[in-house]
Order: sequence, then structure tokens, then C-alpha cells
Amino acid sequence: MKRIGKPVFFIVAAFILIFTTIAFTGISSTYGDITTTYIKGVGDIRWGIDIRGGVDVTFTPSTDVTPTELQMEAAAETMRQRLVSLNITDYEVYTDTQKGRVVVRFPWREDETEFDPQAAIQELGATALLTFREGSETDDEGKPTGVTADIQIEGKNVVQAEALYGPISETSGNVYYISLEFDDEGAQAFSDLTTRLASENGSISIWMDDEMISNATVNEAITDGRAIISGNFTHDSATELANKINAGALPFQMEAETYSATSPTLGQGALNAMLIAGILAFTLICILMLVLYRVQGIIICIALIGQVGGMIASVSGFIPGINSFTMTIPGIAGMILSIGMGVDANVITAERIKEELHNGKSIDGAVQAGFTRGFSAIFDGNITNIIVAIILMGAFGSADNIFSKILSPIFGYFGYATEGSVFSFGYTLLVGVVLNFLFGVLATRLMTKSLSRFKWFRKPSLYGGGFKK
Amino acid sequence: MKLKEFNFIGARKIALSISAALIAIILIFALIFGVRLSVQFSGGTIITYTYEGEIDADSIQTEAQEVIGQNLSVNMKAGINGLDSFEIVLDEKEGLVSDVQAELDTALSEKFSENNVTFLSNSTVSPSIGSEFFIKSLVAIGFAAVLIVIYVAFRFKKISGWSAGMMALVALLHDVLIAFGVFVIFRIPLDFNFVAVVLTILGYSINDTIIIYDRMRENQRLYGSSMTREQLANRSINETLSRTLNTTITTILAIAMICIVAVVCNVESILSFSFPLLVGMLSGTYSTIFIVCPLWCMWQNHKDKKRPKQYAAKRR
Repeated sequence: MKRIGKPVFFIVAAFILIFTTIAFTGISSTYGDITTTYIKGVGDIRWGIDIRGGVDVTFTPSTDVTPTELQMEAAAETMRQRLVSLNITDYEVYTDTQKGRVVVRFPWREDETEFDPQAAIQELGATALLTFREGSETDDEGKPTGVTADIQIEGKNVVQAEALYGPISETSGNVYYISLEFDDEGAQAFSDLTTRLASENGSISIWMDDEMISNATVNEAITDGRAIISGNFTHDSATELANKINAGALPFQMEAETYSATSPTLGQGALNAMLIAGILAFTLICILMLVLYRVQGIIICIALIGQVGGMIASVSGFIPGINSFTMTIPGIAGMILSIGMGVDANVITAERIKEELHNGKSIDGAVQAGFTRGFSAIFDGNITNIIVAIILMGAFGSADNIFSKILSPIFGYFGYATEGSVFSFGYTLLVGVVLNFLFGVLATRLMTKSLSRFKWFRKPSLYGGGFKK
Repeated sequence: MKLKEFNFIGARKIALSISAALIAIILIFALIFGVRLSVQFSGGTIITYTYEGEIDADSIQTEAQEVIGQNLSVNMKAGINGLDSFEIVLDEKEGLVSDVQAELDTALSEKFSENNVTFLSNSTVSPSIGSEFFIKSLVAIGFAAVLIVIYVAFRFKKISGWSAGMMALVALLHDVLIAFGVFVIFRIPLDFNFVAVVLTILGYSINDTIIIYDRMRENQRLYGSSMTREQLANRSINETLSRTLNTTITTILAIAMICIVAVVCNVESILSFSFPLLVGMLSGTYSTIFIVCPLWCMWQNHKDKKRPKQYAAKRR
């Protein structure tokens, strides 16, 4: 048997306690007004709209058309643009190209008392008004004024905009640019406008609703209805602008097919209730473990604390740069549940150790046998949970997550990005299983083997009741 | 080591009859009273408002009907976060045009100005999307069950994997039906929580089954043909009994805690999730001991009767 050193227990225990504390509190420094987050804590968790209130809408084209992928992207881009102009930055927008749907979720703004979800939904779904205007004169609020107030060309005259990469003149080398194609009416108007402006050295601006999205100097008259917009574009900015122009050219309107709105009071109550339940459940589990398994119970409690810390870290994102996960009520339920399942792994091992001791094995032998013989049961049980978790994530996740891609032959027929709350249940279950192996098996094993080498802990009665020695 | 071994396999007739009776009751209940689907699956609209003081359901109905111009029903509900609330459920499955909602808000708060009627939530689902998600959920559940059975069959070849897998499936069906029964009997509408509950119970119940299968696999190796199947199964159940009890008690206590808090704080969405889960988990533990193992023995014995020679050859 491989010997584990006596200090290992303290190292593992200290690591777990420090890790969990950090996972809860996070590490950040405040210098003046600027707070830099080094490690994210509980406070950085994004709560789903079922907890903090908000709106969840699924849009679908109002007329019976099958939009192309490009059009869907464009429609989603319009929604993003409008959410930002509504001052909502913490939104989620998914497209489901299979079914031609756009799913939008956004929370209540914090200072909001009288939020009107219906108005917001209608505004989001309305067709974007894309306009080409002369010059770029704006008033104090950024709205067009002066010559710019007149609309020269409308979005409906745009056939297509596309982000491309290549040379735009003989000397320019390869750059990102946007190619723009007008229909006959648009080409004529554009030709007139550019002919006039080229001689005046004027400029053209492109607007979406009341917001200027691009502004370019006219270098020459364009008469064939094919223009290019160049400038310091990156791949992303060129694609974004092309999407916005296409959005203005959409031949359909988006309509709310399904929506739900939750006021913040409802969610906050639910969150508090879940937190109380979680703390109570955890305390109860720890007490039970201590009563049932004594010394082993202490180790189990430490491992469980680590497991809770791991759950928190996996949800908050822990390291800056990793996005935090959107946490919903079923997600929290999944967390509490997976802790309960994590207890099972520990119970199996502890029971096995007890059993081997009853059969007359030495402490070392029993501990060794407890872990090796108990493992196959823990392994098989957890694999089946992985199966369930992956199916949940694949069936109810957005189209671009890996599980959805794997399972797309089965669920591809149905719409994607449908039920975020069930998805987060699957996520916490999956993380819970991984943590079971990490803390419930590995950390417990290291701590038990290390602790069992101390003279004080070599009494069988410390590993469970019922001994009359 | 243990003074007394309980004869679980011996109690199979009683256990199987109880389960069959329970399932029959649930199915009859579902047939007579119907299964409620939430708007998430059936399509439709539920709008919830909170209010203070006393409000008469009939007058809400009259007022709302006037604004919306559709058939609707009103449910009064006691306190979420200490606030009483009522639901307006539109009978028509078309969903509500969103500007009508604004009108309704104004009309209700004007009519019941003393009651401080405040909009709480709205859930509108079109019927096509609703039924599509319901089917998707059923496919997810079925697919998970199939994969689990294949996994069990593969991992437990030693105790004749496919029968082990099929018997585990029977137990899963049993547990899912019991959980379904909770939804039906307590008139909880089926929604996405139901899907999450069913999948959790699948995972939990199969975990329980696997622990005992695992011990049967080990004992099969240890004792070989010196034990009859019934003895083997019984021994395995008894050896893992303290684990089964301890884990069940721990998990059940944790979920029960959630139920209690949900009741105390009056958070219905959590209660309609945790209570069926609680019952389903209890059923999962029960079905492993009293259904899976006896059925496995009966099925194996039945197979032997059909093919006595092969059996004899195998056992040698």
C-alpha cells in the first residue's frame, strides 16, 4: 500500500478551506473608484431572471417566411443594438436558425420601479429603420439635425451587406471592408447622392433608428449600386456593421411568440428561501455525518465544504475572463441535490471501511479496501448522472454549446435555446459529479489515509459505532 | 456479522402488489381528472398580480373580461412573500397581445385602487412552441433512460446485463410514475420543473440500483454458485442496507428542508419542484430493494425454466 504522509491531511484540509473561502469572498482591490477583481466570489454570480426579475422573450417572424441564417443574425443584431440603447447591457440574445427564432433575456434595471415589459418587447421586435443620410450633423442628444435630418435612402433598398477581406485598391493591401449592394431604386438614389457629395467632398452617415452606426467620406461617385465601406475595420467590427445594415433591410418583423415577465420581488423571495434551505440542509448533513462516522465524519465535512466551494467557483467563473454562469432557481436546486449525491460517495466509502473493520481487517487494510472496493459503485452511479446532465444540457442549451452539437441528431428537429433554467440544472449536476470525484473520492482518500497514520486515530471505534472493543 | 438478515426478496408479493395498486390508482386518477399542463407546454397566458386587503374574484373576472374580451378564469392565491396574489388565466390558447396587458394593468389598478394591485408576472406561450417543448422533454427523458439501460447492461454483464438493465428500467418507470402521481394528485401543472424532477429521479434511482447491482456483482464473484439467486440478492441488499438508509436519510432530509422552507416562505415554484422530487426519491430507494431485485430473481428463474440445459452448463 502506498503510504500517504502525515502532513497530507493538513495540506489538503488547509487547501480546501482556503479555496472555499476565496470562492465565497472573491479577491478584489479598490483603488479610488476602480475595483479590480482578481478572483470572482459569490457577489459576482449572475442571477437568472427568475431570481432577480426580468423578461424572457422568444421572437419569431410575424409573417410566414423562412429567414436565412444571415437574416437571423441581422435580426439578433438589431435586438442587441436596441437593448444597449435602452441602457440594458446585461442581456442574453440567442438565435435559433433551425426554427427562425430569436430568444432574448434581460433583467430589470436596478433603479427601475415602473418598468413596462410590454413596451420594451414591442420596441425590440419592431423593424429597424435603417437610413442613409447626408453629412453627420447631430444635436445634443445625438439625433440627426440640419442636412442630416433628411433621409436619402432607406434600408429597404439595400439588397445585401457583407463583410469581406481583401484588397480594395491597388495600393491598399488586404483589409476588412463591407460590400454593399442596392436595388435599382437605391442604386439610382445612391448614384445621385454620391455624385453630388464627391464634388463637395461631403460625407454619408448610416443610421439605425436614431443612432448613427457609420459615417464615411465620399471619395468618388458610385453609379452601379455597389458600394464599399472601408476604414479601420477588424473582422468583428466589419461583421457587426454588415449585420446591422442587413437588419435594416429585413423583409419581416419580429413578433413575440412566447414571453414571460417576472417582477423582482417574486424572485428575491425565492432566492432568499433557497439560500436558507441550502444552509439548513448543509448543516444538517454535516451533523448527520459527524454522528454516524465520527473521525471519518470530520473528513467528510471538510470534503463537502470543498464541494460547495467548487460549486460556487464553477458558477461565479472564479477566474476573471471566464464568464459567470447564469444561475436560476432549478440551478440552485441542482446544486443542493448534487451535494446530497456527493454525500453518497462518502457514505459508501465510510460504510465500506466500517464493514471491513467488522470483518476483522486492520485500520490500514480497512481504509485501503474501503476506497478500492467502494469505488466501482461510486463510479457507475456517477456516470449515469453524467448521462442525465449531458442530455439536459444538450436538449435545453443554446445551439452553440458542445452538448447541443453532439446531440443535434436527436434534438436538432426541435428549437434550440429554449429553457435556460433546466439547462442550469444540468450544468450544476454535471459540475457536482466532477466535484464528487475530486473531493468526495480523491480528497477524502488522501485525508483519511493520512489521518489514519496518527496513533490517536487508530481506534476502530472512531470510524463508526457498534464496536465493543 | 449482522444478527438478522431481513428477507426482502420474500416480501416480493406484498411489495409488488402495493406498487401495482399505487400505479393503478395514479393512472385512474389521471384518466378521470385529467393531467394539467402548464402554459409552458399547452400554450396560453397566465398573468399574476399581487394585491392587498380583500378582493372578490368575480369582480376581477368581470373587469378583466371587459378589457381582454376573451374567456378567462381567475385563481386567488395566498401569499408570496407575504403578499396575496391572483392569477388571470386566459382560456384561449392564442396568447395575449402585449399592448392589451398594459390596458389590463391600468384597468385593474383603477378599479381596485384601494387594493394596490401590482403586476407580478406574465407568462405567455404560443401553443405550437408549447407542444414542441413538451415533446422535446419527453424525448429527452426517453433518451436518457435508454442510455442508462445500455450503460447498465454493459457494466453488469456478470449478473446478466440486459436483464439487469431491463429490470432497472422497470423500476425507473415505477419511480417516474409515482412522481407523476404527485403532480396529478396535487393538481400541479406539468412544466419544465417536471422534466427536471423526472431526470433527477432517473439519476438518483439508478444510482441506488447500481449500488446493489455492484454488490451483487462482487458477491457473485465471491460465492459463485454456492448461493441461490434469492440468497445472493438478499445478501447484497442487506450488506448495503446501512449505506442505503444513511444516504437516503441524508438526501431526503436535505430535500425535505427545501420543502419546509418553501412552505414557510410560500414560494410555490420551489415547492412544486421539491415535493415531487422528495416522493420520487423515496420511491427510488423503495423500488430498488422491493422491485428491482425480486423482479431480477423472478426473471432469471423464468429464463432458466425455459432453457434448463444452458442454465446448467452456465452454472458449472
